[in-house]
Amino acid sequence: MSVTNKITVKRAEIAVAVILALCSIALMIKSAENRITWNAEENMGAGFLPFYLSLGMLICTVLTIIKFVLKRSPQSKDDSPFIEAEAFKYIAVTIISLVILVLAIGYLGIYFSLIFFLAFYLRYFSSKSILFISVFSLITPVLTFLFFEWLLKIPLPQGISEPLFYPVYDFMYS
Amino acid sequence: MDVFILLLEGIFVSFEPLNLGLLIFGCLIGLFVGAMPGLGSVNGVAILIPITFIIPPTAAIIFLAAVYYGAMYGGAISSVMLGIPGASTAVATVFDGRPLAVKGEAMTALTAAAVGSFVGGTVSVILFTLFAPPLAEVALRFNAPETFALMVMAFATFVGLGGDDVPKTIFSILIGLALSTIGLDLITGKPRLIFFNIPGFLHGINFLVLAIGIYGIGEMLWTLEETKGKVQMSKLSVNMKEVGRAFGALKKTIMAMNIGSFLGFFVGILPAAGATPASLMSYGITKQLSKNSKEFGSGVPAGVVAPECANNSASTGSMLPMLTLGIPGSPTTAILLGGMILWGLTPGPLLFTQEPEFVWGLIGSLYIANFFTLVLNIALIPAFLMVLRIPFAILAPVIFVLCVTGGYAPTQSLHDVWLMLLFGFAGYILRKLDYPVAPAVLSIVLGPLAEKALRQSLILSDGSMGIFFDMAEKPIAAIIMYIAIVLLIMPAFGPLYRKFFKKAQTT
Repeated sequence: MSVTNKITVKRAEIAVAVILALCSIALMIKSAENRITWNAEENMGAGFLPFYLSLGMLICTVLTIIKFVLKRSPQSKDDSPFIEAEAFKYIAVTIISLVILVLAIGYLGIYFSLIFFLAFYLRYFSSKSILFISVFSLITPVLTFLFFEWLLKIPLPQGISEPLFYPVYDFMYS
Repeated sequence: MDVFILLLEGIFVSFEPLNLGLLIFGCLIGLFVGAMPGLGSVNGVAILIPITFIIPPTAAIIFLAAVYYGAMYGGAISSVMLGIPGASTAVATVFDGRPLAVKGEAMTALTAAAVGSFVGGTVSVILFTLFAPPLAEVALRFNAPETFALMVMAFATFVGLGGDDVPKTIFSILIGLALSTIGLDLITGKPRLIFFNIPGFLHGINFLVLAIGIYGIGEMLWTLEETKGKVQMSKLSVNMKEVGRAFGALKKTIMAMNIGSFLGFFVGILPAAGATPASLMSYGITKQLSKNSKEFGSGVPAGVVAPECANNSASTGSMLPMLTLGIPGSPTTAILLGGMILWGLTPGPLLFTQEPEFVWGLIGSLYIANFFTLVLNIALIPAFLMVLRIPFAILAPVIFVLCVTGGYAPTQSLHDVWLMLLFGFAGYILRKLDYPVAPAVLSIVLGPLAEKALRQSLILSDGSMGIFFDMAEKPIAAIIMYIAIVLLIMPAFGPLYRKFFKKAQTT
């Protein structure tokens, strides 16, 4: 039995409800760092709204858990896999590559990170030729640069690659 | 008469070169966005908002409204040709559009969808022009208590009419509101919910981060799972004879056009509703009232016209509360509303007096966009079919690039990009477990406005919540609040009603 078959909708439903309940409690504790009381003299404490909103979230997740235990929700009776094995490959690779992309943006800068991200993603999931993938992976960051830096004048993060762009900026603003 | 002059001025505004260019460009992008499975108006608008920062607000709203409008037209293309709705708003179009395509009558289905969209759009924009000014005039008398009550009603509508699991819906609303409280408290100035002392939380969570996360990253993950990166398309023959035959088939769809246009508009006004339920309801009612109801589902043009009329009509209808009351009528208008705040405008009835060019430019542009989208839609069908052949595995990384850059651009902080990824993954998982995500987006947009209105009201009433229920002092706020309470408790009566109805049927 594969991992994806073991994670059924039923298990995912209860696991997510419990995680959300814990997050709600964490939010309540965090909100309580500020005053959570409210009265006519003092008006509303800074923590009042977030605290009671989190309490409401906790109540909702508890209700979801009760519905699950009583088998009142469709998910509580669903033993089908939460995600199919083939789809899992797409999702997992996409999520991991996106996380690596954002990590790389902080270090390499956005443009070089995008080249690697696009080249990897297209090579992994599409059946396109190396030439197509190379051209596509190079043109997209160039267009992104022109659009943001030249047209919108919004600088995107460049990390260690920043010095490479100085001549381009000299040309653009000279 | 005044309305007519203002409308004419608005139409002139939308004919200004920049506005007209952006309108046509927006229609084209909207058609594309609507046609691509997994992308809809809400995704398009969320991803494109950051690029509107360099243009004036009027041009920006005209552009984004055209994207919204075009997406309503475009959704039908993939519903018919691929059997996959381009967006949730085009789900009902699949029911008869796909069987028509399978029978070899794809052109009939596409023409019915385009003409239906045009009729629905035209009727709704006329209704919009007539209803908006008086509603805005009434709304001008609203103060903080009325504004807060309206927002509570918007949240309650999701619970009462959304049709989703009630605890999950309320959870979604509350988490959106809780996220909107992150940052500095607007009255005391104290920092709230600054996790791990990360400075990025001090400026709060921009609604765009959540919207792009959920509707960009999350939706792409969802579509990747559904399509596994591939597409399957029907064959289509495009010639004048086919187009003529398609127009001939529309004679029998007048009733569907009426139902779709009027029902769509009024359903679109409701905050929780929007174009998806409008199109499904119109399809259902047209089917019930039709003499040939048994043929629905096997490929009848009326089954395409009704939902397409309705989704266009609802998209215009959903802008009515956005402009007049500052309450969005759909997830897309929630994002547009957030955009207005980013552009430095205050959504609500004051826009009609303070920013008439913005309001009437938008209304005028809807008339123009409706015409251009019809022409572009029919003329570019072959081009859209080529685009639809692009495998999703190629389109998806491009969307991810747009999401990452779009998430970074507003605040120029990688912290927001990380948050966007987190919301995207969380939104994907939650959506798979039937947590509605639209209420969270609505809440994060309305959260700061609702908190401000609540606190101002409580200062007015010396801390008494009675201000929202006082029929003598604040009758409008009280009535709206009571409606909200009815909406909130309505789902509790659903099982009782069904039980009673079943019992009555058996006896």
